[in-house]
Amino acid sequence: MIFTYWQPDARSVEKWIAASILAATGLFACLGPQRVHAQAAAHSKAHPTSASTPGPDGPNTTAVTPPQLVAITGGKLLTITHGTIENGVIVLENGKIAAVGPAASTKVPKDAQVFNAKGMTVYPGLFDAETQLGLFEVESDENSNDRVEKSDEIFPQMRVVDAFHAETARIPIERINGVTNAIVAPAPEDSVAGQDALIQLYGKDRNAMILTPDIALAMNFQGDVRRRGSAPGSSKFPATRMGLASQLRQTFLDTQNYMAEKAEAAKPDHKGPQAKIDLKFEALIPYLKGEKPVVFGAYQSYEVEVAMGIAKEFNLKVILNHVTHAQDLLDTIASYNVPVIVGSIYDAPEANERYDAVYSLPAELEKRGVKIALSSFSDGPTADSRNLPYAAGYAVAYGLPYDEAMKAITLNPAEMFGVGDKLGSLDVGKVANVVIANGDPLDVRTSVQQVFIEGTAIPMTSRQTQLRDQYLPLTQKPK
Amino acid sequence: MLSNTNLRMKRPALGLLLGLLLAPFSLRAQTKAPDVPLDLVIKNATVMTASHGTISRGSVWVHQGKIAGVGVTVSAPADATVIDATGKFLTPGIIDPHSHSALGDDVNEATSPVTPSMMMIDAFDNMDSALYRALAAGVTTELLLHGSANVIGGQAVVIKNKFGLPRDQMLFPNAPRSIKFASGENPKRVYGHRNELPSTRMGNFEVMRQSFEDAKAYMASWDAYNAKVARNDKDAVAPKRDLKLEALADVLRGKLLVQIHCYRADEFLTEEAIAKQYGYKIRAFHHALEMYKVGDQIAPTGTAIATFADWWGYKDEAWDAIPWNATMSMREGVRVALKSDSNDYVRRLNQEAGKMIHYGGASEEEALQMITLNPAWIIGVDDRVGSIDTGKDADLVVWNVDPLSIYARAEKVYIDGELFFDSSLPGFGTTQFHGVMHSSGFSGADDEDGGGL
Repeated sequence: MIFTYWQPDARSVEKWIAASILAATGLFACLGPQRVHAQAAAHSKAHPTSASTPGPDGPNTTAVTPPQLVAITGGKLLTITHGTIENGVIVLENGKIAAVGPAASTKVPKDAQVFNAKGMTVYPGLFDAETQLGLFEVESDENSNDRVEKSDEIFPQMRVVDAFHAETARIPIERINGVTNAIVAPAPEDSVAGQDALIQLYGKDRNAMILTPDIALAMNFQGDVRRRGSAPGSSKFPATRMGLASQLRQTFLDTQNYMAEKAEAAKPDHKGPQAKIDLKFEALIPYLKGEKPVVFGAYQSYEVEVAMGIAKEFNLKVILNHVTHAQDLLDTIASYNVPVIVGSIYDAPEANERYDAVYSLPAELEKRGVKIALSSFSDGPTADSRNLPYAAGYAVAYGLPYDEAMKAITLNPAEMFGVGDKLGSLDVGKVANVVIANGDPLDVRTSVQQVFIEGTAIPMTSRQTQLRDQYLPLTQKPK
Repeated sequence: MLSNTNLRMKRPALGLLLGLLLAPFSLRAQTKAPDVPLDLVIKNATVMTASHGTISRGSVWVHQGKIAGVGVTVSAPADATVIDATGKFLTPGIIDPHSHSALGDDVNEATSPVTPSMMMIDAFDNMDSALYRALAAGVTTELLLHGSANVIGGQAVVIKNKFGLPRDQMLFPNAPRSIKFASGENPKRVYGHRNELPSTRMGNFEVMRQSFEDAKAYMASWDAYNAKVARNDKDAVAPKRDLKLEALADVLRGKLLVQIHCYRADEFLTEEAIAKQYGYKIRAFHHALEMYKVGDQIAPTGTAIATFADWWGYKDEAWDAIPWNATMSMREGVRVALKSDSNDYVRRLNQEAGKMIHYGGASEEEALQMITLNPAWIIGVDDRVGSIDTGKDADLVVWNVDPLSIYARAEKVYIDGELFFDSSLPGFGTTQFHGVMHSSGFSGADDEDGGGL
């Protein structure tokens, strides 16, 4: 088995993709019958009529067909990097994009399976910059909740790959609306909540779906994070923002000290005991070295300034997250010269702010030259990856140029997380994650017709389409 | 007429200051003539009537706050104020049949599973910023409901979202009374956690049945008393008045519209059976995420649903939610509304309706009805609002583009013919509000907050 994601070094996207293609080509076709997800199984006991006919989508662990040689013809291609091609051809071969161009000058291979996309829009698979996919199932159910370790503030050694549940019923539901890649992050309840993973929303098992483990460090500096110390009856440090900031600084100083001791112990002439391995400090090293990004979440202006102060002090490579109540700090944010995941765009403005104070934030940041991404993450009740394109559409309604909105859910997040050479646009050599829809991808009225992930036309079904198809004939009167 | 007491501020900056200083008395003291035009014509708009199709270049004539005419042309008087809405879309005001906005953290009187005498109007804070943000999204009428902690909750308040007017002028005049019931996970969790009744669905429904038995006994005691009074019986002793039993009696007398928080298919059937047993009608099931499974059985009862477009999976009883629920239920013959149950969703009910074109192929008019005419029916005010028809209240929204599009923004919002929001105005864009808003800190999402836990 070549999948060794648990090794400290992150594997390159290239290796992971190569591995999952290997997997997809049938080397692992000997898997047993579909495993119905535990939640679904439990539920089907309560409702014998539902979830009794698992289709090809439910578990992600079966029915992965090899990537075909595919040509999508006649569609309007939104390439992201080189404009719109009105009548274009895109060729997918061995899981990669093999050709993109106008119909007149792009050859359709003779043996290709052709998808006629006349009247359709064709665009790269969407990239959701923050989700908790695979970390929970029924939201209120604690048994399936692996969203965040809550017993302390500093948990860089927590890795979402260790909890990621590839067979979640949620992934098929999200992906059939065009989301093909996502960052899975721990819930934002700790100052250092753990390490994110980059996933692909289709693959034969967890290893195939995790493209890059430990791709970034999830950090937060927000008042809400104080809950442990400020909870009624609690006397646990920290209970204030001062405490949170001081604890973060001490943690990074301790890590630097640990690194120095380790370096000392590694010297040939070192005598005495070897340094004890501490996984917490080990986990922080690549981030202190600036090798990988930290996604630093903050909402209020002053919180953003404190967070960026700490980041500067320790040379962290930052992707700022949220900033939804930092409208008075936008020029300063631009001067940080870091990318920003804005939102949720649906965060409520403060009382006595104009109703569109948050809606217009992506546009205001983009106008100042900030590279922005959007995510489906929300503090409210609305987090749902399938609705990611609508957040981008909303940003357009409030001033963000259309092309920038498309980038904010494709190429920009891919670049922020260091995989812009593999994902996020219709370019030759990139992973063949492609979506065909019957209209504008950002509009709620549009229906996605077909999603390709690594060149495979995935089943356009989910637990929800199964329920729909199960009950339609039982309840609809014949015409 | 509410317009007689309008506070008019022409200079927003000064207005803000004056509003802060004077609002407590000026709101009540103003008696000067309103500058609301007697006649208003909005012309050249794409008029989506919600009742009789779309007029591609149509006009609407408003006279004294009511719709006086709608069509390709209207016969308004020559001195009418004319708004040219070329390129714009015009719809009825959006109606939210399930909101907990502006109730602070008073949504659930979760101290007893039966609290029908709770009046939500007693918690209504008309300065809550959630109302403002809903207004800016074209929402003109809301049903503010008790939460779902209790099997039988309290009585709702119906508002017109005239944000900035005094509290009593935001109440929908003479709206029918509604009462909130709840079944399923929320009541059983709230009381089960305390080791109290109910902790199961069996418990939920028994608590309901016993309540109605108590109400019947109360009614019988009053009937007996009234009969004695009628025959001048000197020994007639009036029973003790009991607000709780009076409210339950009003349910049995059909004086309250029954709005039931309910998710599962089996529970719809049980609720209908109990309603039949005790002789009341259910106006609507709220949430109703599994209606698609039994819509064919519920449709003949006339009970409507107020559901989410696509929110799902937040608890066990929302696990079988599918985004086709609204359109499938509609085709099964059920009257379907979309609702917010949230200070967030209420800001984009139009786009939630737009999703129904994607999920199940609703027509534009069917989708629009889900956020206008159908919720108006659920609240019992469909004879006065919910569509652009002559005689109805002039609650109108001017949109930049098709309101079902993701790019739609409400530009102007009229209620009873009066402009309450205009996005081109500086500051909040409000015409009547110039003070300081309140923030309850509550998301407005009863379910997200665990039904009052």
